[in-house]
Amino acid sequence: MELDYLVTVLLSSLSSASILLIATLGLAVVYGLMGVINLAHGEFLMVGAYSALTATQIGIPYPLAIPVAVVTTMLIGAIVELLIIRRLYGRLFDTMLATWGLGMVFNQAAVLLFGTVSPGIGMPQYNFKIGGYSLAAYSIAMILVAAVMLAFVYLLMTKTVYGMKARASIQEPKMAQAIGIDSSRVNTLTFAIGCGLAGFAGAILLPIIPATPSMGLFFAVKGFLTVVVAGPVALTGSALTALGLGGGASVTASFMTSVVGDVFFFLVTALLLWLYPMGISARWRRKL
Amino acid sequence: MLERLYYSSGLVFPAIATAIALAVSHSLDPYLAFVATSWIIFGLLGLSLDIIWGRGGLLSLAQTAFYGLGGYFGAVIAINMASEWGMTLVWAVPSGALFGAVVAAALGYIIFFARMGELQSTILSYTFTLLLWAVTQSFKIDIGKAAIGGDNGLSNIPGIVLGFGSKAESLDPNQTFATVVAISAVIYFFTRWLMRSNFGKVVDCIRIDVEKTELLGYDIRKIQVMNFAYSGAVAGVAGALFALWANYLNPSLFSVPEALLVPIYVLVGGLGTLAGPFLGALAIGALSFWLGGGAASGQTTLILGAILILLVLFLQNGILGALGQFWRQFIPDPNDAARHAGAVKIDTEVLETILTDAAEQAGPAKELDSNNLFKRFGGVIPVNDVSREFAPGKPYALIGPNGAGKSSYLKTCVGLYRPEGGSIKLGNDDVTKAPIFERVRKGMGVKNQKPQVFGENTVEQNLWSAAYARTKEGQQATAISQKVLGMLGLEEQANAQASALSHGQQQWLDIGMVLCLAPRVVLLDEPAAGMTNEETRELSLLVRTLAKHTTVVVVEHDMEFVRTLEGHVTVLHQGKLFAEGDIETLRANDAVLDIYLGRREHV
Repeated sequence: MELDYLVTVLLSSLSSASILLIATLGLAVVYGLMGVINLAHGEFLMVGAYSALTATQIGIPYPLAIPVAVVTTMLIGAIVELLIIRRLYGRLFDTMLATWGLGMVFNQAAVLLFGTVSPGIGMPQYNFKIGGYSLAAYSIAMILVAAVMLAFVYLLMTKTVYGMKARASIQEPKMAQAIGIDSSRVNTLTFAIGCGLAGFAGAILLPIIPATPSMGLFFAVKGFLTVVVAGPVALTGSALTALGLGGGASVTASFMTSVVGDVFFFLVTALLLWLYPMGISARWRRKL
Repeated sequence: MLERLYYSSGLVFPAIATAIALAVSHSLDPYLAFVATSWIIFGLLGLSLDIIWGRGGLLSLAQTAFYGLGGYFGAVIAINMASEWGMTLVWAVPSGALFGAVVAAALGYIIFFARMGELQSTILSYTFTLLLWAVTQSFKIDIGKAAIGGDNGLSNIPGIVLGFGSKAESLDPNQTFATVVAISAVIYFFTRWLMRSNFGKVVDCIRIDVEKTELLGYDIRKIQVMNFAYSGAVAGVAGALFALWANYLNPSLFSVPEALLVPIYVLVGGLGTLAGPFLGALAIGALSFWLGGGAASGQTTLILGAILILLVLFLQNGILGALGQFWRQFIPDPNDAARHAGAVKIDTEVLETILTDAAEQAGPAKELDSNNLFKRFGGVIPVNDVSREFAPGKPYALIGPNGAGKSSYLKTCVGLYRPEGGSIKLGNDDVTKAPIFERVRKGMGVKNQKPQVFGENTVEQNLWSAAYARTKEGQQATAISQKVLGMLGLEEQANAQASALSHGQQQWLDIGMVLCLAPRVVLLDEPAAGMTNEETRELSLLVRTLAKHTTVVVVEHDMEFVRTLEGHVTVLHQGKLFAEGDIETLRANDAVLDIYLGRREHV
């Protein structure tokens, strides 16, 4: 096995792990700051992808289509929070069921609006070579995107007034209210940000993952497992888990088939949950 | 009349419905009979979820996985056996049940023996289904005459054949309908019996309060795995029936829309009602029939998704739950008795006989011995190198200012906290690493700071489930719980729900449950909290009597109460043993006064 092959596998695995992290971060934010699992997360990602696609189709250049997708999903997210999530605070499993139903509604609505096949956005593909192997530049660039996204969320949570309010609300909800934080408004914003991150993911991944109504499912399994394995310290935990699990699955898949990669992902997750039944970060002292 | 009918409604109405279904099965339009058969099968699938979710407390999204696997496995057996032997039902249904049960038990073993969090369990079960969906798309294998062809599915599955031999014919749609109704009825009534049996009562306890159930000495993990396996078996039967009904299976069985339907059936009908899922499947089936399409295709998905949202938001208890609530207005409320309950007065004579009986059955009192016990949470060390031996005779009181580590010490002894160092001995056994239920079985009886009672259950059931944990024999448990009920003077409240009792009475009920365990070492964390002065005096009497027969350790803030115990007093401070003696000497001890008052020297 030559060095260039190893570097190629390593880089492409790191890129798959980054793609997983990009797709999962919104879910982790909502879970970490609201204690809510949004089972429609994958469908929000799909909505983001379709928004960006539609925007490019009416002539908006792709870089500007991404903010369009983010705004669209944030708006939908805020409405969903006001109409559904808000009524189910403290009922984790009911929230899951309701968002699950919501995901199916989005899915079916997308089939009705766009059909099951959709055109790609036709971006030129740049490749570069490492030894005898060629890699797609856009996929590798996702490593950078993931890092920037992670830094953005981290700064948002630690350096802004909103972030401090949001963290206060999840750690001591009553105390937060007692000092005058309107936690339901904070929650609406948090949920909208989570959905906006999903929309961003859908839009930024569009050149490599074409929009289809069921594309959400592709990420759903790994995304949910990543967040759940990560446990209560959602941000750091998810970043670690996405790297480990996503990278591991990708390495396995590149030596065998992608189904074997999926099976590997599931088995390792089960093993990790066996060792850490409440998630790997259950005993950590940091909170973000 | 109305009242008796209410309490047996789960028996009467399903029996009537079964009789009607069987009676009309011959005269139904064959196409309607064909479609309605699938509704019954989906109802059975819904029942499997109700067993593990409504009763067991775990929202499992893997029921369609057991259903699909049961279907595939049953179908493969049926295809291979039917051409020669006929009688597909006998081949497919038991093998489907067995396979469903085995797979559920395996998944359940991972979930329950690892003691996974609720969320972790649900997501793991969901991803298990989605994983099967991905794997079966490309899974191709020939087993005898059966050819599983990836996303092409498995075809040529014979219908329901009841005759033997290669010439036996498949049943027509009307007969198929009647057969499926009969099988489902048998499974429903068996499940209802099972959930009301001793096993089912423990399952109910686990759903209401897992920790308390383990503190009674039940191996909760085993019971949960068994319940999950049973629900997997029911799902497997449904899958096998579906295979024989549809004559064709493909991986869409494991798809998300399919999995989505199962909780909808349960929620529409009523969670935890067992009969509800059938009603839900019927309602949703009829709705999709009317909308014109299969139950999980076309626009139906859109409508079902919306229905799920609306159900969760507005009709939590489903059709049967809402009906039951309406009905309860017209029958006497058993919780009325709780509102008229007076102060508890202990009957010491009965108490003495209970304690001597307990000593006869469970052996002599045991000593509790902690050796250099150490527990830390990050930078806080609530139990710091505590070595102390407790023996029967006089009660031990643990006192100390807030945050001294009293409750933490007790919780470490019980096993609720895992110590990082030191050892705990119960009698001659080292129980440092033993799970909670094993310590309880060896004779530890614990009452936590907050009264832990099974709120939905009646007072009598609460005591019974404690006694049954020890005796494992229903009638003996009833005798013991009746005795304790009499000693507490709660006979009138026997049929009231425990949650209707006042805080103080719940404390008494919790103590009563501990007595039902015939413990050899009793640990009580602030038992007097929430009690009136009068009740506190009764409690003191009980604790002193108890100490003559067993080892008793009490954590308490109420100094007056501690004084009346006339026992050994141990002062804890910052996780360490600080002082010992009787209450009078400690009251004269300057150092003890310092830590209580926060004066400089010893803080």
